Amino acid sequence: MKQILRITIGLTISCLIAGSIMGLVFTITAKAKKHNEHLNVQETMLALLGYTKANPAPSDLRFHSVYRYIIEDGEAKYIGYMVPVKKGATEGYELVVINLAGKFVEKLEVPISPEAAIEEGERETALKTVLRHPKTFTYADTTIIARLGDKQLAYLLPGEFPGFKTFISVMLALDPNFKILGLEIMEHEEDPGLGAEIEQEYFKNQFKGKSFEKVKRLKVIKEPLPDKYKRYLETKKWKKGMFSEQEIESIRSKYQDHDIYALTGATISSRSVTNGVKNIIKKFAYRMGKLNKVIASQHIAVTF
Amino acid sequence: MAPTTKTNKELFVNGILNENPIFRLALSMCPAVGISTSVMNGLLLGIAVLFVQVFSSCTIALIKDYIHPRIRIPTYTLTIATWVTVIDLVLAAYVPVAYKAMGIFVKLIVAFAIITMRLEMFACKNTVTASFWDGLGMGLGFMFAMMTLGFVRELLGMGTLLGYDILGFRPLLFFALPAAGFFLVGLMMAMFNYIEVVYNRRKKGL
Amino acid sequence: MRMDRRHHILVCTFFIWVLLLTGCATEHRFVKKVAFKDKNKVVMTFAGPVDETWAKDVANYSVYEKQDPDILLKITDIALSPDKRTVTLTFEDALNQDQAHILTVTEMMSAGRSQGTAILTVKKLYFGYLFSILIGAMIINNFVFTKYLGLCVFFGTSQKKTTAVGMGITFTIVIVFASMMSWFLYQFVLKPYHLDFLQVVVFIGLVSLSVQAVDTILRKVNPALFKAFGVYLVLVIANCIIIAVPLILADNEYNAWESLMLSLGAGTGFLIALFLMSSVREKLELANVPPTFRGLPIAFVVAGLFALAFLGFSGMSIF
Repeated sequence: MKQILRITIGLTISCLIAGSIMGLVFTITAKAKKHNEHLNVQETMLALLGYTKANPAPSDLRFHSVYRYIIEDGEAKYIGYMVPVKKGATEGYELVVINLAGKFVEKLEVPISPEAAIEEGERETALKTVLRHPKTFTYADTTIIARLGDKQLAYLLPGEFPGFKTFISVMLALDPNFKILGLEIMEHEEDPGLGAEIEQEYFKNQFKGKSFEKVKRLKVIKEPLPDKYKRYLETKKWKKGMFSEQEIESIRSKYQDHDIYALTGATISSRSVTNGVKNIIKKFAYRMGKLNKVIASQHIAVTF
Repeated sequence: MAPTTKTNKELFVNGILNENPIFRLALSMCPAVGISTSVMNGLLLGIAVLFVQVFSSCTIALIKDYIHPRIRIPTYTLTIATWVTVIDLVLAAYVPVAYKAMGIFVKLIVAFAIITMRLEMFACKNTVTASFWDGLGMGLGFMFAMMTLGFVRELLGMGTLLGYDILGFRPLLFFALPAAGFFLVGLMMAMFNYIEVVYNRRKKGL
Repeated sequence: MRMDRRHHILVCTFFIWVLLLTGCATEHRFVKKVAFKDKNKVVMTFAGPVDETWAKDVANYSVYEKQDPDILLKITDIALSPDKRTVTLTFEDALNQDQAHILTVTEMMSAGRSQGTAILTVKKLYFGYLFSILIGAMIINNFVFTKYLGLCVFFGTSQKKTTAVGMGITFTIVIVFASMMSWFLYQFVLKPYHLDFLQVVVFIGLVSLSVQAVDTILRKVNPALFKAFGVYLVLVIANCIIIAVPLILADNEYNAWESLMLSLGAGTGFLIALFLMSSVREKLELANVPPTFRGLPIAFVVAGLFALAFLGFSGMSIF
């Protein structure tokens, strides 16, 4: 009996100590984790827009986030866009509700600050105060709009689609005419040496500069990547004087409307990235058209 | 087993060479095959294992007199799991990109036989200092093995080292493929065996 | 004894029916079946003949992916079968068949009478999905040969066929038991209380607990079986697959059936790998291997060859 008591007490004490150590570390790291993740995304966004350490972003570059929600009210479904708006001198958020055909339904003020809006949980509690009981809502996606001074610079779209093995998550940068400015592979689990090559510059940079019209018909071709084009795509390996201005221009115009060259031994991965990018852009262009019309007709003072 | 008579330096070297966890004891093979595709992966997982090994060894050496013999193994498991959780949280917070590259393997350190084995064989019978040096040696031995594998696979498979382009071309893409880990570990083990055979022969000859 | 078996079969058939039904039932009495066909087609089967003029009108159908209700998919062609009971919709683009699609059919006209509007969900058979998880974990993404987990135990117990089979069976039983418990605890305790960071501790604890439980139960219930398999129980805990599976389940948010299939697949996959390997290693005993390669090194090279062979399954999809 005494034995059992000793064992139980010993185990309880060790469990308590272990639990408190883990809890302590968790509370310390949770904040840093969020901060670093945010920083990582921010860096990727800047890199996609062409800003690096050597060429830092101008101080009047601003990012504005639009959050899309699917709202259900019984049988009826609506799309809600949480857009940042000007409220006097400060910024606030409004929920613009649009029906499935793209017609404006209502406009609701969301009591949330721009800093708090980054957190999904905070948005949810704020939205619950404006969308009352029978209405339910689910988070769909985020679009980030980059603005330089008084002109729109780019749309940044995080997205995810099935790859060869599991999911591939990407970040796309589009200019206001939906031309691709850049593609970054954020996460994937493709085979190293084969499908994992999608994160190499000579693959992902092929998407750069493709116009919206081209993207709609974008295909993957199984041809070897021309050597000169490959060297052109690997911008990180460029040395001074490797390409003259004219050469860059000629290669760019030659391949601008070209399809995507498949990776050797990873045609399926190449194809899933191409189709995934194509779908993201097509859906986004369709939605943005509808949203912009509503914003213009309702005179919503959006910040982007 | 009585407390060790080896000096700290001997303990330290023992883990790296004589009892190298991967090449000599053939323990903890999963990461050696699974994620040894680059030096960076090897280095980071090595650091994680080193941390868990040193801290667990010290903890057990510290509390060895209070552990009831019947709950010895559960206590080891709890200790290891705690330190694994700690390093997992820290890595996820401060090096998120590299952490993602290692995937599930950081959490799997908890099932690595090498750590439990060192606790059972060494830490529960020796002082904190000796256990510290033993843990350090074992952890570094693991790190050394992982980095060697990563070095060969990254250099021959991708032509790079730590992400920097060294060769400018890819000598043998085969080494970057996932299955190549098995071949390489097999070849390395054979090499260590061969060295041992030659060494013993020389010794006899002298 | 006979009663027992009949009871057993009854329970099995019941479960299979439940699984099949969840995959087949539609939400409207007039629509018997709706399913994907080829890459870009959806086929509907009605309970009675439908009017041709109604069936051929594109305006009567609207289809969208469940999570994108605002983007309607474009229908390019509608085909009606000669008996007027089957309608095939052809879409402009290939459908993403992993996603459920919502198909709204307005005012179905049959023999001049309206049968009402149907909102239907088109998705792959759930049974097929479960089966693909099972086969996926067993062969396509075999934990030993494509994920490189559980290697210590794998090399340790694959010297003889009898040991290999014993280890494989014991492992399968324990992993199913442990994964289901971990899944339950994760979904109902850890997740609701935001204690995700305790994953590792809780899962390893549960694994030890289930090894202990199987040990005790087997010892009491069937001592003969315990004599044969008891020795492997200790080794189970040193196998990292057993801790990897609960972690994967927690990551992917699988439900109970899916979790069962994944853990069963992981267990049987390990059994298959062990069996294959032991068959080769028994033959290797007789071969003339260079002394430095004898034992583990040659086993690793053989495992590498197996891994290359399994790479061929990679990316395969069933259903």
